[in-house]
Amino acid sequence: MSEASSRETVESAEGLFAETPNGPRLCGSRCATCQTPYFPRSSGCHNPDCDASKMEDLYLGPKGRVWSLSVQTYPPPPPVVTVDPFEPFAAAMVDLEEGLRVLGRIVADDPGQLNVGDEVELVIAPLGHDPEGREVVSWQFKPV
Amino acid sequence: MREVAILGQGLHPWGKFEAQSVTELCRHAVEAALGDAGVKWRQIEAVAAASSRFSGGKGWGLNGNDIVEDMGSTGIPVYNMSAGCAAGANAFNVGHMLVASGQHDIVLVMGGEKMPKGFIQTSGLEDPTDPEYLRQRCVGLPGPGFWAMLCRQRMAQHGTTEEDLAAIAVKAHKLGAMNEYARFRKEFTMDDVLNSSMVNYPLRLYEICPVSDGAAAVVLCSKEIAEKAASKPVWVASSAVATADFNDGLPRHLACTIGPENAHHSEAKIAVRKAMQAAGVEHGDIDLIELQDNTVYYELAFPEEWGFIEPGTAEQWVAKGDTMPTGKLPINPSGGFQSFGEATTAQALWQIVEVASQLRGEAGGRQVPNAKIGLAQSLGLGGNATATVLRV
Repeated sequence: MSEASSRETVESAEGLFAETPNGPRLCGSRCATCQTPYFPRSSGCHNPDCDASKMEDLYLGPKGRVWSLSVQTYPPPPPVVTVDPFEPFAAAMVDLEEGLRVLGRIVADDPGQLNVGDEVELVIAPLGHDPEGREVVSWQFKPV
Repeated sequence: MREVAILGQGLHPWGKFEAQSVTELCRHAVEAALGDAGVKWRQIEAVAAASSRFSGGKGWGLNGNDIVEDMGSTGIPVYNMSAGCAAGANAFNVGHMLVASGQHDIVLVMGGEKMPKGFIQTSGLEDPTDPEYLRQRCVGLPGPGFWAMLCRQRMAQHGTTEEDLAAIAVKAHKLGAMNEYARFRKEFTMDDVLNSSMVNYPLRLYEICPVSDGAAAVVLCSKEIAEKAASKPVWVASSAVATADFNDGLPRHLACTIGPENAHHSEAKIAVRKAMQAAGVEHGDIDLIELQDNTVYYELAFPEEWGFIEPGTAEQWVAKGDTMPTGKLPINPSGGFQSFGEATTAQALWQIVEVASQLRGEAGGRQVPNAKIGLAQSLGLGGNATATVLRV
């Protein structure tokens, strides 16, 4: 890895999360008609009972509660981003206050320290490096 | 709608077959099904096939066309069905309709798959508009991690233990050891399972299914033909296909709404309910279930979500032997995916063949005594599910 590439940072995906004046948020949307929230942003409402899809942008987070979680103890294949050498990481399904269940990795010293029901909050943090050696950052959750 | 029977059935054993093509595996199953049915290839009026995801099909999932060319082109119509891991029973559903509607009298349904080694790359696309790519790139959650999360939720809700999970794997392999078509024909002890490596807590290596190769085929026919056949027919009481409910609270991509639905895989619950209604059967009428146990967790969750077992009690059913072939509700007497491994698009049809074998009383040491009505269920990527009720 060159010095230049090691300093380069990319987002895991464009337009899915943002650092706002109030802190990190997920970039979602909501249907103004039926109030259904979405992440990532949706161009149309998927609620089969909603007759008038009317989408508006909405920042989601930062507070949530772990619905369930798992520790990834072995290196998964790309495009999963990991650190080299591989270190286990926890991933979770987190229930946000806006009524969305969202996937995200857990930032914690010990990936096994969290439990179902624990409170977490959004952070933007590195996942590891991509095959080109660039650091990849993404939304994650950390214990409160 | 006309009544439809399974006139014949055939399997290629599940395993890893490096030297054989998927069409060779399929031909083995098709020839076995034709032989069992007592019909010649020329008599097949149409083919409904599962589109393979990983092998053959000219790269377009045209596996039905491959087998027609291989057996000998006769100009018959071919329907290639894609529904992720539910494809085999999706094809069965189409084959059933072709006969039930009166369009055809004898139809072949088949599915075969040769799996690449290692993890299933569910989409294989590197496209930021593909939700599956985003899920892996932004979070990283292969199948076992997803199953582990569902299982962990159950542990928090119902107090399921690691021993409860291991007991299901022991049961599965006890049955799989007796199944000549299973890939793993070896019994495991509780210690064997609990000492196998942790994949994603709480799921260990012997509590999830690996990938396998395999093929399955059935010949469907009208009532008129079935009643003239030498052997006693197995009747298709119903064949249902469903997709997921919007509000079931299962994040299949990066997020979902948190709905009131208590069945996480709503597609499976809907398919089972539709199939039972169409067949006119109640829970107590069903003598055995073959369900999709990618992980032992599903053997606990599914019977509860479908109303067969009181929520939170499935562990006790397993412990008491109530899900064994001689128990109150036999589940996966075949040995399940734990013993077979996952040959994705073929496996739903193998489950149907297994249920038919049970109803024919040909399951040997795994036989469910006096089995008259059986249910087979599958689940596939994209929120696909199927359920099939057979009876004799």
